[in-house]
Amino acid sequence: MGQLVVNGLALGSIYALVALGLLLIFNTVQIVNFAQGQLLMLGAFIGISCAVTHELPVIASWAITMVAMALVGIVFMVLVYFPLRGRPAFLVILTTIAMGIVLENLALIIWGPLPVSLPSPIHGPPLRFAGIVISMHQLFIFATLAVILLLQFFFLTRTRFGILMQATAQDLHTARLVGIPVNRTVAVAFAFGAVLSGIAGLLVAPIFLAEPTMGGSLGLKGFVVSVIGGFGNLPGAVIGGLFLGLVETFGARYISSNFRDAYAFIVMIAVLIAWPRGLFGEKSSEKV
Amino acid sequence: MKTWPILAAGVATALAVPAIAQDGYVIQLLNIAILNAIVVLGLNFVTGWAGQINFGQAAFYGLGAYTTAIATKSGLPWITTPFLSAVVVIAASLALGLPTMRLRTYYLAMTTIGFGEIIRLIIVHWEPVTGGTSGLRAIPGISIFGFGPQGQVQHYYLLIATLLLAVAIATRVRDSVLGRAMIATRDSEIAAEQSGVDTTKTKLVAFMIGAVYAGLAGCLYASSIRFISPDSFSGTQAILLMTMLIVGGMGSIAGCVIGAVALTILPEALRFLGQWYLVLYGLGVIAVIVLAPGGLASLASQLQLRRAGAR
Repeated sequence: MGQLVVNGLALGSIYALVALGLLLIFNTVQIVNFAQGQLLMLGAFIGISCAVTHELPVIASWAITMVAMALVGIVFMVLVYFPLRGRPAFLVILTTIAMGIVLENLALIIWGPLPVSLPSPIHGPPLRFAGIVISMHQLFIFATLAVILLLQFFFLTRTRFGILMQATAQDLHTARLVGIPVNRTVAVAFAFGAVLSGIAGLLVAPIFLAEPTMGGSLGLKGFVVSVIGGFGNLPGAVIGGLFLGLVETFGARYISSNFRDAYAFIVMIAVLIAWPRGLFGEKSSEKV
Repeated sequence: MKTWPILAAGVATALAVPAIAQDGYVIQLLNIAILNAIVVLGLNFVTGWAGQINFGQAAFYGLGAYTTAIATKSGLPWITTPFLSAVVVIAASLALGLPTMRLRTYYLAMTTIGFGEIIRLIIVHWEPVTGGTSGLRAIPGISIFGFGPQGQVQHYYLLIATLLLAVAIATRVRDSVLGRAMIATRDSEIAAEQSGVDTTKTKLVAFMIGAVYAGLAGCLYASSIRFISPDSFSGTQAILLMTMLIVGGMGSIAGCVIGAVALTILPEALRFLGQWYLVLYGLGVIAVIVLAPGGLASLASQLQLRRAGAR
């Protein structure tokens, strides 16, 4: 029982990280990136190329992955966001899905279809108390989530650039009028969004194996979590992530493991029917 | 109107195809393309006209196919299956549509993806009835009181006739009060409400018509291809159906048919590209959305406008 809670929270932390990356982009440009899961997959594979294939030290692999993901995020913005500014939302949904298909199949060409494993960045005996085993990697996941949450909060509310980003999110045109370098702000949002999903990829790969098709369901979970938490609401997304991790772990154990991937959608549909703005309220409502 | 000669030429070419292409494989591929065209025509009611994104269309396609396969394999006469399929998809579309038709864009996209995924998981794991991942084989063919098409060419003509009927109904609906209400809902929900359109009801009806198109196409798929598996109705297929609509031209009936036929044949014609095909497919979809938002159908009408201008 306690063990299931720990496992569920670890899984949920990863969902929360995917959601944080998704929301960083959404809060700035009001675009939901349906390729977020594929960015995660890309992060995992870049990490594997560094740490496994080229046997680089852990810190170097993480640094290279994060820089590479920031560049990917900017390329992504140029290809997918720029040409579609101000166009209907479902066209943007489709271009991000199409970009996900491109990334997934490029990964299949580069890294092949076989699952690969990535060792955890930290080693050591697992903690045990009261019959519960917490692996070092699980602890590392919790710590990473906490650090990123704090950093993101500090960045968005206490730094100049973070405040510029919030202003851009509130009204892109007014932000441009008052002289905020909107394009640069948006580029930073995409770069950070991609880096966050890259980190999620580096954290997932040691638990599940990495394969090119791993992104699809993880990206959708990140979205489900954002919906549960009230779209745009960062603390809500984290709580939603942990909640979904618990629901999936307990559902797989006590109901049926076959329908593991369905629980997320059932929870989301239930939440949307009962509270159309999510459990913790939506941060920004639709503009007329 | 100048559409009649084009339509007649299109139908004549379609009717002549089996005489030119003797290859059974080509006819089979075309049969699937026609079925996809019917499903995309259905999707066009929801997405093209009522403006609601829907990634559940492949699931309705699958529900129709599995209902038909299970019914005929358990001994029911074929004639009952179109009705059974329609009843099942109408029930499913109400179950999904009633609570979700008030949702917008991203929320609707996600709920319909979720619906498709839940249906797929049920098909995959309800093995005694659905055959699981390996699917169902040797499904009884179309038979109306002992008469039915024999061989792929006869199926082809039957499917062409069904497609024409589907096109005719879509055209009638587009030019009716209902069709105009759908298009008004897409253009501005607020303005449509002000003009007395019940937008929620309109969206729901569009959703149901779309589901029935998919369900009946699924029924014909199961009994003319005679083999079904969950892969044919997965989330990937739902995205493919949506791209057929976008590439062909949203809201355009001809566009739906062109998009479906083109994107069914293209992967077979470009098989030599292997994995690169899907990379190019993704980039191609982005290119169409960015450069020709009205799809292939709009390119044709732009050409016509330009020619009219030159005259």
